[in-house]
Amino acid sequence: MCKNDCSWNLTADRLLQPVLLFLLCLKPSHGYELIQRLAQLDLLEGEADPATVYRNLRRMEQEGLVISSWEATGTGPARRRYAVTPKGDELLDAWMVAVRRQKEKLEKFIRLYENHLDSEKARGGENLLPEG
Amino acid sequence: MSRAPFRILHAGALRRPMGECSRVFKERYPDLPVELESAGSRECAARICDGGIYDVVALADTAVFARWLAPDYVDCYFVFATDQIVVAFDRFSRGSEEITRDNWIDVLLSPGVIYGRSNHNLDPCGYRTLMVWQLAEKFYGRPGLYEALQDGCSRVYPKSIDLAGALVEGRVDYAFLYSSVVRQLGLCQVNLPSRINLSNPALADYYAAASVTLEGRMPGEKVLLTGAPIEFAVAVPRNARYPVEAQWFVEFITGVEGQQILEGCGLIPC
Repeated sequence: MCKNDCSWNLTADRLLQPVLLFLLCLKPSHGYELIQRLAQLDLLEGEADPATVYRNLRRMEQEGLVISSWEATGTGPARRRYAVTPKGDELLDAWMVAVRRQKEKLEKFIRLYENHLDSEKARGGENLLPEG
Repeated sequence: MSRAPFRILHAGALRRPMGECSRVFKERYPDLPVELESAGSRECAARICDGGIYDVVALADTAVFARWLAPDYVDCYFVFATDQIVVAFDRFSRGSEEITRDNWIDVLLSPGVIYGRSNHNLDPCGYRTLMVWQLAEKFYGRPGLYEALQDGCSRVYPKSIDLAGALVEGRVDYAFLYSSVVRQLGLCQVNLPSRINLSNPALADYYAAASVTLEGRMPGEKVLLTGAPIEFAVAVPRNARYPVEAQWFVEFITGVEGQQILEGCGLIPC
């Protein structure tokens, strides 16, 4: 059992921005619906905190990565609906380059570790050979 | 001849953010007197339905708009913040040194401990508290817990801001309040699991398992409300005396500067 933080650096906070941009690329949404879609997608470690999601959306809008407009449905409440801008699209592409690079490094780590395990098992097998 | 005031009607829990936003409004419209009036959200709705003239109405639950105000009294209402229900206390509360997220139920149900809620027929915080208790029974797997919490709750106040006052004055040890109000008052809080605190839209279906029956507007009328994530909303009533200025106020509170005020008051702008 790992008593330290074993989540590498792909924490929920780090991945939240590209995941939100990706979800908005698929379909513009308001924060309420985005939080639900995030939970269904299950890409992040742990539960996405609504306060963090809303804060990220506001920050991304201030940075010009997304744009919002009010959307009302029938007699229901109007909520702020977010859509990705071209600048947000570019950033998402850049994020995916970084994510793929991270994936390659992680896969290399896994290969090295598994090779090490195989070597250990092989050495342990030699030691168990009957004497004589 | 003095002008009729610009009237803002708001839920008690929004007293501080509405006060701060109205200060900015007065700078924008210095010649327009401003009046703020607060009540439980359902009472706010009743005042509008009874013909009260208000320029802005801000409530603690979109369900109150949906059930009583839209579309006859408001055309559109805008979600501007969210929050969560917490167990509030201060250092003088019985058991304050022992209470945690894991044992809050047992502390509240201990002999001699007094806890309170707001009136579910007047205030969304009241019916949300009942929903939290129902969800707690399910979440913790303690059959009978909802009834035990109801029976053990000896203090019920008209609205959550009255309940907060009771906590500050020591008339109750614990109170079920919005986290934003607790922070504004500098009180302590126990955060509840997201599966019961009505904070997370991802758990909307889970929250919907809870329900409370409220008195309707007409004698004998009953209304059933189901659990839902907390959302505060604001609107310009159809009969607003100053619709242009009211629109400015709504755009301000939902804009960048308004959101900073809301965040400073412990709310989560959305």
